[in-house]
Amino acid sequence: MDYWNHKVPLLASRAFSSSARQLRNKVPEAQKLFQADNGLPVHIKGGTGDVLLYRATMTLTIGGTCYSVYWLLVASMPQKKA
Amino acid sequence: MAHQAHAYHMVDPSPWPLTGAVAALLMTSGLAIWMHFHTMTLMTLGMILLLLTMYQWWRDIIREGTFQGHHTPPVQKGLRYGMILFITSEVFFFLGFFWAFYHSSLAPTPELGGCWPPTGITTLDPFEVPLLNTAVLLASGVTVTWAHHSIMEGLRKQAIQSLALTILLGFYFTFLQGMEYYEAPFTIADGVYGSTFFVATGFHGLHVIIGSTFLAVCLLRQVQYHFTSEHHFGFEAAAWYWHFVDVVWLFLYISIYWWGS
Repeated sequence: MDYWNHKVPLLASRAFSSSARQLRNKVPEAQKLFQADNGLPVHIKGGTGDVLLYRATMTLTIGGTCYSVYWLLVASMPQKKA
Repeated sequence: MAHQAHAYHMVDPSPWPLTGAVAALLMTSGLAIWMHFHTMTLMTLGMILLLLTMYQWWRDIIREGTFQGHHTPPVQKGLRYGMILFITSEVFFFLGFFWAFYHSSLAPTPELGGCWPPTGITTLDPFEVPLLNTAVLLASGVTVTWAHHSIMEGLRKQAIQSLALTILLGFYFTFLQGMEYYEAPFTIADGVYGSTFFVATGFHGLHVIIGSTFLAVCLLRQVQYHFTSEHHFGFEAAAWYWHFVDVVWLFLYISIYWWGS
């Protein structure tokens, strides 16, 4: 009997309390989460973690832009000759 | 809820192109500031922002394809074209370095002693570690093809094993090349020989690391049941990239290591 085509799909749908070697297929749950009709864009649709990571990234983006403009001004000034 | 009457993917508005552009700005200006003012902060900030952008942008693509079903056949065709065009651009990138190598080595100047390898350069024996490296990458090309067939045939365990083996071979190559770099009797500063050798093989090594990372992400996705036997383009893209890296090595080996020794 072809193990991989018959037994494995049945096994994959059982709930494992401790996964020693096999992981449960969580794709259907992810599909439900990301197809929920809540109007959220994909980059924050995963939840709180997404929002925090987005905020951290945008903070670095804006902060970094200001920091580069600062250095632009420093580099534009005449260098003091010691 | 409105439904689209076409098979194409109208993406949600995304902040990652902006953050990626700013990362490029910070890395380039940071490089200049590092050189002139001896501080790496701006450049490091740019690199962190680049990593954050790559992680979130590619995570979103996985969500759009695997979880939201947006990667219909026409969309997948576009992704295939995109990957092929990208790899083509990388081919041209390497072509430049091969041009530089052949320019200097086919007509060696009097300053080099009028010969290639130049006077005073002890080249690496092409039949030692470089030959092993060739075998390692060729073997990894076989294992990645094995992984592909395993995925197409729905053989989960074999796909995981062959993909893991491919990645290990990639790491082994990087390790061996690292040792070669450390032990080499010449440096990047040793004239045009050193320049062409380390820039060409160095960029290749970087691409091996990138390719290994791409394959590692595919391994994680395979373990998490993302790939089906009919639809696994992320893996195919990684495999194409890996074969490209292998072919570049073969050209490097023949030209620089063997002919150039």
